Amino acid sequence: MLIILLVSLIGSCLFPIASRWLGRGAGFLMALLPFGLLAAFVASAPVVERGWVQGEGIVWAPSLGFDITVRLDGFSFLFCLLITGIGGLVTIYAGGYLTNKSKADRARFFTLILLFMTAMLGTVLADNLLLMILFWEATSILSFMLIGFDHKSFRARRAANLALQVTAAGGLALVLAVLMIGHVIGTYSMAEATTRGAEIVAHPLGTPILLLIMLAAFTKSAQFPFHFWLPNAMQAPTPASAYLHSATMVKLGIYLLARFEPVIAQTEWGRPLLVGVACVTMVVAAVQALRAESFKAALAYSTIASLGILVLLVGLDGPRASVAMIGFLFAHALYKAALFFCAGSVLHATGKGVLRSLGGLRKTLPLTAIACAGASLSMAGIPPFLGFVSKEFLFEAQLASSWELVPLAIAVLVNAVMVGVAGVVTLRPFFMKPAKPIEMLHGESFSLVTPPLVLAMMGLTISLDPEWITRVAIRPAVIAVYGQPVEVTLSAWHGLTPMLGLSAVVVTIGVLIIRYWKRIHLMLRSRERIERYSVESAWERALFRLVHGAARLTRVIEHGDMRGYTGMAVITFTAVAAFSMLASGAGLRVPAIEGPTRVAEILIGLVAVGGAIVAARSRNLLSALVGAGITGFAIAITFLFNGAPDLALTQFTVEALIVVLLTALLLALPLRSADTRSGREHSVDFLIAAAFGLVMFVALVDMAAGHASSDASDWFGRMSYVAGFGSNVVNVILVDFRAFDTMGETAVIAMAAVLAGSLLARRRGAARDEAKARTVHYSLSTASRLLFWLLMLSSVIILLRGHNEPGGGFVGGLAASLAFAVLSLAHGARSAERVLRFQPLSLVGFGLALCITSGIPGMLKPGGAPFLTHLWWEPGGILPKLGTTMLFDIGVYLVVLGAVLSFLFGLQKEAAR
Amino acid sequence: MTVFYAFCAAAIMACAVHMVLSRNLMRSLLGLALLSTGVNLALFTAGGFSSDQPPIIAAGAKALGVSADPLAQALILTAIVIGFALTVVLAAIVMRAWRATRSVDARDIDALDQPEPAAAEAEPPHG
Repeated sequence: MLIILLVSLIGSCLFPIASRWLGRGAGFLMALLPFGLLAAFVASAPVVERGWVQGEGIVWAPSLGFDITVRLDGFSFLFCLLITGIGGLVTIYAGGYLTNKSKADRARFFTLILLFMTAMLGTVLADNLLLMILFWEATSILSFMLIGFDHKSFRARRAANLALQVTAAGGLALVLAVLMIGHVIGTYSMAEATTRGAEIVAHPLGTPILLLIMLAAFTKSAQFPFHFWLPNAMQAPTPASAYLHSATMVKLGIYLLARFEPVIAQTEWGRPLLVGVACVTMVVAAVQALRAESFKAALAYSTIASLGILVLLVGLDGPRASVAMIGFLFAHALYKAALFFCAGSVLHATGKGVLRSLGGLRKTLPLTAIACAGASLSMAGIPPFLGFVSKEFLFEAQLASSWELVPLAIAVLVNAVMVGVAGVVTLRPFFMKPAKPIEMLHGESFSLVTPPLVLAMMGLTISLDPEWITRVAIRPAVIAVYGQPVEVTLSAWHGLTPMLGLSAVVVTIGVLIIRYWKRIHLMLRSRERIERYSVESAWERALFRLVHGAARLTRVIEHGDMRGYTGMAVITFTAVAAFSMLASGAGLRVPAIEGPTRVAEILIGLVAVGGAIVAARSRNLLSALVGAGITGFAIAITFLFNGAPDLALTQFTVEALIVVLLTALLLALPLRSADTRSGREHSVDFLIAAAFGLVMFVALVDMAAGHASSDASDWFGRMSYVAGFGSNVVNVILVDFRAFDTMGETAVIAMAAVLAGSLLARRRGAARDEAKARTVHYSLSTASRLLFWLLMLSSVIILLRGHNEPGGGFVGGLAASLAFAVLSLAHGARSAERVLRFQPLSLVGFGLALCITSGIPGMLKPGGAPFLTHLWWEPGGILPKLGTTMLFDIGVYLVVLGAVLSFLFGLQKEAAR
Repeated sequence: MTVFYAFCAAAIMACAVHMVLSRNLMRSLLGLALLSTGVNLALFTAGGFSSDQPPIIAAGAKALGVSADPLAQALILTAIVIGFALTVVLAAIVMRAWRATRSVDARDIDALDQPEPAAAEAEPPHG
């Protein structure tokens, strides 16, 4: 069977490709696939008719419990026959129906229908519940695509969306139920789940599981209140409606309920719930069926009523109920598909779908009329058709089961309405005179006529000679559902029984309905309350409110205000930090005072704080910049005081460069602009900042108090000279021990250079820039050349001495860029660029390459050391030790220089524009 | 001294946060630069103030004597440089924003994104 599924899947994709080149016979060629599969299934008939079960499986994901197991028993066999048989007829019909569409569209339809057939086969054959879910959802999605096949039509799209929403919601319920089943019994096998039903019901999750399964079944089988998607699904092309929404897909809910019936039977509320929902559905559907205006809508509502009957039969206990269910399922599939085919033929031939305006078509569509009559007689339950046999079984089951009068009365009424609908649907379009003469687009065609005729014939012949089908399909199905051997005889005449009496009542009422249909129909249509309070409009309103509510919520959260986002981030951080500090319950540790307090340091610290306050409070951007600069310089001096010469050098140069670069920016921007925050917002921000500062202060004090001398620093201190051959421990850490991090950082700087370079001007603004430069004071322009060379020289010295004394690649690069900054301030960016000779970004690239290559020689060493192991060469004598660290440092130097220069030149040119 | 420097770092960071919360892009940028300075000082506090000797191995010695924490300094050094690169990239962005909208107010930049407030909501579908 796995092979059959695989063949079906591949065939569904490949066969329709051929239909692109074929003309009228495409449907027949496509039908080869379903009929071939039908033959393959019939070949398994001898196994199934003995009551055996055929199973296959592949172990796929044992840890998840997901195996690809399939199981063919009587019930699945019946479904497979229906799916492939009716599928073949649908394909033939579709070939004739889609004549006015392009070949590509037709091929798309065939693909979807055949894939749908595969998905249905997978659902009924699957034993592993997870596998079944996969196919179940596939049917939902393929149904969505088929309903929205005519995607240009708004109504088709809306109907498709509606169908998907409802069936997918059911699918979610099914997923939940299956996962819970797996949790309760430890396996996902459906056969296991049904035999261990008592265990499931006894578990606290038992009720939710069953409720969710019923929910899934109700959505798929269009039971109240989820029935509204089915009439809308009539927007699909008729072959799809015939296949999905009458004969196969909607029966999946029934399949699920029938499979889980042994489990549902273990609860006291399961059966009454099923019966109750079924009764409500039947009544609602019956009323709507009489109210329906178009051919297909009437058939859709009668399908819903039939599904209600099937759910009712699942809910009833006793063997007769199982017999009735299987019989009705089979008969209904045959006649409903036939009726849909006829409806489609009428629609195709006349272009009209509304019942009131059709009439007299028996002259122009004679064979269709015969098929329609045959199917309608089966639907009305007139002997000797198959529908009559199934109705008899229905009444027998109701009378035999332990149920009272109300469901029986409802069943009688609903069946009467079905008779009425059947009559109206046949008599009106074909046998009565039309209100106005109808224009025919064309007559009958072979592909449109054969399928309904075949189905209608089957409804008659099977009833007269039921032996083969009973033995092979019906009886095994009943046994599979009921669990024990049951006597099944399909015969057209059972003798005078109470059921016959009930059938007579039904037919009588039905004839009355046919007679007075127009009056009933118009009366129901005029009651607009029915439409206003319908489930469908409630659903639409709810969905509308949901979407708009979500949009409103999004507007509140995603307000687009920068301050709001930043403020929220700071508040959250402060709150979380404060909360965790308080919740930890530990006391605040205060570090001991080490040594005398030095006044100079305190003064410098206060200057730093003062600079920050000035920056925060000043309205003028230039003063803010100066304030920030003061803080930076004060911090640099702090570094000097506390034994961090490298840091001090870096901080000094960085502050100087920031002043140069940001001034270029500030020349273009307005220095004073309107306050962007209101007074109240200022106060709020003040509070936020104060809270943040307080939390940080407490955190820092506590952290510093807990600080013990770090092992890592001690290790670096010991190994720096011995392993790294350098005395400046900070530099050795940067270029040797942690060289990979440093390489990452230079890469970041390089990326920043590329980013800023792409944002800023590169060529324009040259002339104005020159003009501006000539307005510089002569003292700067004369001194600048000397300063430039002095700074360049010192930058090289800083670079070279870095390994043993304060200095290094970073500081050297920054000093060199300061040199160029002085030059460009005095003479303009153009002449600074000329002095540089290279493009700044090329320097960046070259530097980065140098960093990377400096790490490679270490890998080539025999024995293979990791990347960035540095090598040393001691030539001895007066020459110093040379190492690859110098290459690395030079690389860093070049990257920093190139990056800062690309920023500098870019900003200057941009500002000059 | 540690408590004092912790106070300085916290005060600088508080002022910086106040600036960052501004809708004026340039002020926000300066705030970020100030914030990175404050954070560097905070990192330095983590290294401890037990000694003010620079972490340079004395001539002739093979290991580091008592000195400031070299590891914290190495981390801060790269932090300074990268903070600088970040400041400059943001400056380039502010420059471009200025060129595009002739304003440094963040709300004007945001207005570029949303063409209009949400269009009038359609009527809920009638029954």
